[in-house]
Amino acid sequence: MRYIAPVLVGRAVRAVTRARGGGSALPGYIVNKMAPGFIKNVVAQFEYGIVFVLGSNGKSTTTHMLTEVLRGHGLTVFTNPSGANLPQGISSALLSEVGVTGKLKADIGILEVDEAFALELSKTLLPSTILMLNVQVDQLYRFFETEVVADMMLDTAAVATQHVISNRDDAYLSKIGEILSKKGSVVPDVTYFGAAPKLVADSAHGLFNAANHREEASTAPIDALAELESWDSTGARIRVGGELADVVLPAKGLHYGIDAAAALATAAQVLGTEFDLAKASAAFSSMTPAYGRGELLDFGNEKVEFVMFKNAASLQLNLDALPAAPEQVMVAIDEGTPDVSWLYDIDFAQLDHVDVLTGAKAWQFALRLEHEGIPVGTIEPDLKKAIELMRALPAPTTGHKTWVVNYEQMMLARKIIGYGDMEVSF
Amino acid sequence: MSSSSAHSVSILELYPEHLESSGERGNVTALRARLERAGHQVDVVQHTIGRRLPKDPDIVVIGNGPVSAVRAVYADLMENAQALRSLADDGVPFFAVGAGAELLGGGITLADGTVLAGVGIFPFSARRGVPRQVGYIVVESAQGTVVGFEDNASEWNLDSGAVPLGVVTSGGGNGNGREGVIAGSSIATQTKGPILPLNPSLSDAVIRAALERRDVAYAPSAAHAELDRLAAKSREVIVANVKSVFTTI
Repeated sequence: MRYIAPVLVGRAVRAVTRARGGGSALPGYIVNKMAPGFIKNVVAQFEYGIVFVLGSNGKSTTTHMLTEVLRGHGLTVFTNPSGANLPQGISSALLSEVGVTGKLKADIGILEVDEAFALELSKTLLPSTILMLNVQVDQLYRFFETEVVADMMLDTAAVATQHVISNRDDAYLSKIGEILSKKGSVVPDVTYFGAAPKLVADSAHGLFNAANHREEASTAPIDALAELESWDSTGARIRVGGELADVVLPAKGLHYGIDAAAALATAAQVLGTEFDLAKASAAFSSMTPAYGRGELLDFGNEKVEFVMFKNAASLQLNLDALPAAPEQVMVAIDEGTPDVSWLYDIDFAQLDHVDVLTGAKAWQFALRLEHEGIPVGTIEPDLKKAIELMRALPAPTTGHKTWVVNYEQMMLARKIIGYGDMEVSF
Repeated sequence: MSSSSAHSVSILELYPEHLESSGERGNVTALRARLERAGHQVDVVQHTIGRRLPKDPDIVVIGNGPVSAVRAVYADLMENAQALRSLADDGVPFFAVGAGAELLGGGITLADGTVLAGVGIFPFSARRGVPRQVGYIVVESAQGTVVGFEDNASEWNLDSGAVPLGVVTSGGGNGNGREGVIAGSSIATQTKGPILPLNPSLSDAVIRAALERRDVAYAPSAAHAELDRLAAKSREVIVANVKSVFTTI
């Protein structure tokens, strides 16, 4: 009963912020202030506990995959909307699901969590399972050094009460088994996922995981419970234990195949004997892509494919996943990506031209492309005008235009073409 | 003999696997593009741990990296310290950014108080663990206005009489109103972005210093116009948005 007032106030704030357009972390903030024990009491109700999904890239996609796989097994899943991975966003998401007395009808919580807040949140949410996807160079202006990010994840993993699922092919995260066994910990148990070595070797730029300058690579081979064997434009083949599964990927690319392997390994650990690979594969068939991750949206009589990037790894791996140089391309990048030094680490061979470059950092992107001799049609810093330039181009023979966008420009572009509602982020 | 074309220019890139964490490969890309557009062949040689340092480079480039990378390259760098000092003494221009520049300076005092001695090419010492500076930076220098992005928690203290690259008009720089340090034709800076593509005048200063040693002429031409135009536009926006506040949680 003690949560009735905070929940009602939080809901009222939520209704107001949504009516004004877009979600907000504010209602969660208010509830946290009014009832600090609220979240802890709500999440204690989950029978299968809470799963944290951590990683530099792929959190939203993998959270979504894991959620659908568990729903395919009949579980009721509570999850946060993609991108809402800070404490207030998570409280806001919980708020929208609970009854006024603080009761929540869900079997499990699957939460993507920002690395910087993972350890702090683990004290309230007491995660049973931690999935770690990758450590890639990301937001150095925020994290300073990549190994700081690695430690944020590794330290959080150590507090899991049941399972840790980690990336065998990541120079930092593959160390978690050694780290925990050195501590003499019996729980959590550690399971790995990965990509077949040949797939990694054949990838133009590998996995783009961060280099580990502080530790030697392990010499002992690590077994992966779930291993990506192959992928193409239609899906991925993943070996789980001794069994093979073909799954449809919501977005194409090596990294999305690895995310799927991570989701399957995690589902297998969380569900134990209840895990059914056929049910898991079936769940992939009906998955929709997360915002901006290979989404095809209507644009007049045509379609637009959104290719979102946040950092070097996501841009390179998404470019590498393009089947051919896209016929019509817009690139949109603004001050939401503060430091673009890493553009000079990207191989743009997958682009043979860009039709329109937009956003406050359009000139810097154009300067990068000029160094590679990749022609740019028009530089139009205003996104609305840039979209009209794209609209004016003749219909592409592929039926769709490709928009390569940073997060902030993606959200604006979606709104401009009529897909306003709403991922929540900061 | 003087020739304006077909001269092969050798760029020595130090520890690219460790010390290019802020896109410093772009500084090499910029030098290469400008040299090639002026008709010169370019030969980029990478030096990695355990390899022999190549002889007679025209330009030496080094970039930024985390402390773990600094420690990883340190022993190899010290083995080559004398050879690198000789290159600098011979007038070979060095272009150094961030942690790589600090290694080529007098020394680095790390946040825990440990001191790493430097190679001694640049007349300054660095102190880590000061409040972090993140964002666009604008500097007035002998090569005109220099712009870029800074992201460091390092204070640079110049030796007495040493000349900075310039005066900071927006941003943090060395932490005392100046940015970078120069030593002859060599430049050390904390500015990223990367800095050379954004600042063609700085690239040209490095290239001129390198080619003058070999008595080879260099002049930007119409082939450089698009690089220069896009750099100028980028710089305009950076100056206009210089007060952008970035998330540093």
